[in-house]
Amino acid sequence: MIEITGLTVHFGGVTPLDNVSMVFPAGTCGLIGPNGAGKTTFFNVLSGFVSPAAGSVRAFGTDLLSMANYRRARWGLRRTFQTEQAIEALSVFDNVAMVHEHCAARQSARRQEVLEAIAFVGLDGDPDERVGTLDARDRRLVEIARAVVGEPKVVLLDEPAAGLPEAETKHLSDMIQRIPEQRGALVILVDHDMSLVSACCQVTAVLDFGKLIASGPTADVLRNEHVMRAYLGTDDKV
Amino acid sequence: MPDLRPYLVLGLALGGVFALSGVGLVVLFRATGVLNLAYGAVGALGALIAWSLINNLGFPDWAGYVVALAFGGIATLAYGVVFGPPLAQRDPLVKAVASLGLTLILLGIMSWGWSYQAHALILPTTNWGFDLGGVRVNGTQLLGLGLGIFVTGFTAAFLRFTKVGVAMRSLANHREITAMLGVPVRRVEAAAWLGSGLLSGATGLLLSTLVGLDIVGLTFLVIASLSAALVGRLNSLTVTLVAGLAIGVVQSSLTAFLAVSSYRTVTPFVFAIVALLWFGFSQRGVRST
Amino acid sequence: MKAVKAVDAESSRSALAERTGMAAFTRVAPARAIRWAVLVVVLVVIVLAVPVLLSTYWVQILTSVAIYSIVTLSLAVLMGRVGLVSLGQIALLAVGGWVALRLGFAFGPALPFPLLVLITGAITSVIGTLIGLPALRLSGLYLALITLMAAAAITQVLAATNFPNGGEGFLGHSSANVGNAVLARPDVMASDAGFYRVVVVVTAVMFLIAILHVNGKAGRAWAAIRQSEAAAIAAGVNVTLYKLWAFALASFMTGIAGCLLAASAGGLTTYGFPTQDSITLLAVVLMGGIYSFWGPIVSAVLLKLIPEFLKNWGLPADVLTILFGLGVLQAMTTAPAGLAVQVPKDLANLGRALTGLARKRLVRVPAPEEHAR
Repeated sequence: MIEITGLTVHFGGVTPLDNVSMVFPAGTCGLIGPNGAGKTTFFNVLSGFVSPAAGSVRAFGTDLLSMANYRRARWGLRRTFQTEQAIEALSVFDNVAMVHEHCAARQSARRQEVLEAIAFVGLDGDPDERVGTLDARDRRLVEIARAVVGEPKVVLLDEPAAGLPEAETKHLSDMIQRIPEQRGALVILVDHDMSLVSACCQVTAVLDFGKLIASGPTADVLRNEHVMRAYLGTDDKV
Repeated sequence: MPDLRPYLVLGLALGGVFALSGVGLVVLFRATGVLNLAYGAVGALGALIAWSLINNLGFPDWAGYVVALAFGGIATLAYGVVFGPPLAQRDPLVKAVASLGLTLILLGIMSWGWSYQAHALILPTTNWGFDLGGVRVNGTQLLGLGLGIFVTGFTAAFLRFTKVGVAMRSLANHREITAMLGVPVRRVEAAAWLGSGLLSGATGLLLSTLVGLDIVGLTFLVIASLSAALVGRLNSLTVTLVAGLAIGVVQSSLTAFLAVSSYRTVTPFVFAIVALLWFGFSQRGVRST
Repeated sequence: MKAVKAVDAESSRSALAERTGMAAFTRVAPARAIRWAVLVVVLVVIVLAVPVLLSTYWVQILTSVAIYSIVTLSLAVLMGRVGLVSLGQIALLAVGGWVALRLGFAFGPALPFPLLVLITGAITSVIGTLIGLPALRLSGLYLALITLMAAAAITQVLAATNFPNGGEGFLGHSSANVGNAVLARPDVMASDAGFYRVVVVVTAVMFLIAILHVNGKAGRAWAAIRQSEAAAIAAGVNVTLYKLWAFALASFMTGIAGCLLAASAGGLTTYGFPTQDSITLLAVVLMGGIYSFWGPIVSAVLLKLIPEFLKNWGLPADVLTILFGLGVLQAMTTAPAGLAVQVPKDLANLGRALTGLARKRLVRVPAPEEHAR
């Protein structure tokens, strides 16, 4: 379980997150909201790239914010980025192995666990191929393999389906749903593809202009009037 | 305690020139993202050309100085026009390294054409001077300090009140949006290149008079200006001015203390390191992704 | 390679691990082993044969090339692998030389040469790291600037302190002492040929250390840092630590080069480390190539060998400076990988085109199936 309490971020005149309190219970949880709602800022706070002005984040009883940012991956926090960031100069194997060797997991089992993660995401090319030579879909999968290798506790997926065609989204959806059970991690999924979110996430939270406007079972949230208004806008809004 | 007053005078003059070139560096950096490390070399070559025109070709002094200024402006503008666009999207580090390429080219031209011997180029303002409380102040020193203060103020006003100036500030802070607003980006950048180039020409002439026309010395005095600009976080003109003056005064004053006198040129480096340490620690908690 | 891929696609998931391991091993082993064997042979030739074949003058030049290739290597690793630009390597070279001379004159033969080399490297490493430390948390531009300023500062200080030449006091320099600032060499390296051989071996060791780093955990972390610090942090990499380590390693290697330089013919003079040389070093490293391990050797040749040729032909060295400046501009605007990658690539393309032509001439009429592949 991840508990966020009173999280506030100020950024040179803007308030991307405004006193946000929410709970991500277990399994796969969604986080949605229109552009600029504060979702990526939220991920950046969790990753430790941004310091909040106020608030706390407790994940499985641990105070995340007091940890140095590079230690959080070691603890079990993993993440993918909006513009995918698999390391082009390294091979697929090295990309995933790198995450493994910087985390506390047993080094003797490294080769096996890396190949396991690569198989989990469904990459069946040559693991020694440089990521720079792969296409967008495979690179995205490499990034996800990096996120699930070893023993992750929390996996943050930031718009993993962005730019992928329909057929790939199905594969992605199946894989994401298997993460909590097969890799033992809580997943927070941010995406604009509502069918992906409703397929994968049991519960979803909604941000708009840095505030939490709804949370609960995904189906209810997606039918929520406030949520629809936030996305579509109404005549009353200036 | 030795009499620091003569050193104070020289220090303020030098510091004024540091501030002068520091301002040129900062404005160009903010408008184009290029930290022009060839700044000193351009000024040095301009001064050398003026020297040759005056001493070898018999040009009148003022003509030589005009050519030096013009050279500074045109050479810098030419570099900006040719190498600005292909590097426009790159990291500031790449742009700064490219300007080091220009520095090498200029150094090569200078050593080839003029060799490393010392030349003398003294502005006529040096002949005029007055006594200030027992210390002699000459015209060039006054010019250095005065120009430094004047240019800082003028540039600040220019950036705030003129159309081109506002466009430059807009470029500095919101590059992509500025282009979309219909601002003629290339022309504004050209103005920044030309302006900073003219300043570098002036710097070359002033420093030749104040410290001597020495190729290596002039080229690397850009470091003192750079230090002042860094203390101003490559942003604030006022801080650049104050830092420039401080560096000039401290460095000059250290001449009076025999024990450390030979090490006084380390001053800009010390200022910069302290500034960076300060910024490094105040930036904790915010990292660009 | 295609055959291997076909086999992989057929096998079941559980056997994938085993197969991939085996396939990778069998594919890589012959090519890599051959490459290493060739390298060792070339190295042996260089070490043993060269001093016998060439005159003292050229042996000394090649010794200098080898020493400076350690410095170019350090900069190439910093720039190519970690993405950090240091403009102060020549200054650190001077610092290494100074430290070596000071220790050498202080302890004399009581301090064995290998130990002196290592201690010099360690001290230079500490100094280099301290210089870079304030800027490592800020953007790369500030690191470049602070190292440039350090280079200028050290050059100025050096003009005042001079190099130790056996004199008294902390600075160890005596203007009365007409002797050069030269480090005494143990007997095995007393001759030019002997010194040359030791230098080449040390250089090879430095290259080995660099290769081990790049292919290991540090290299992977650096590759991540170079592409995206955020991705590196998210992967658990302590970015500041790894940057510091890269800087410390580069300074360590440069310090060792400085020690070797101090022991070379003529010793060290304050004119040997002008600020301009730090920029020239950057230029040749960019031109030689920052991503390969041949690049630093090309760079050292550009820096130390070509000027000698120019001198012999009576051409001014200034031309080279201008060319280096143009090289930097070219590198920044077009090929960031440098000549050492471009030229082999171009040669490979040329080679392929030629063999393609040859094949067409030798084979009369290729069967349709062959062409379809």
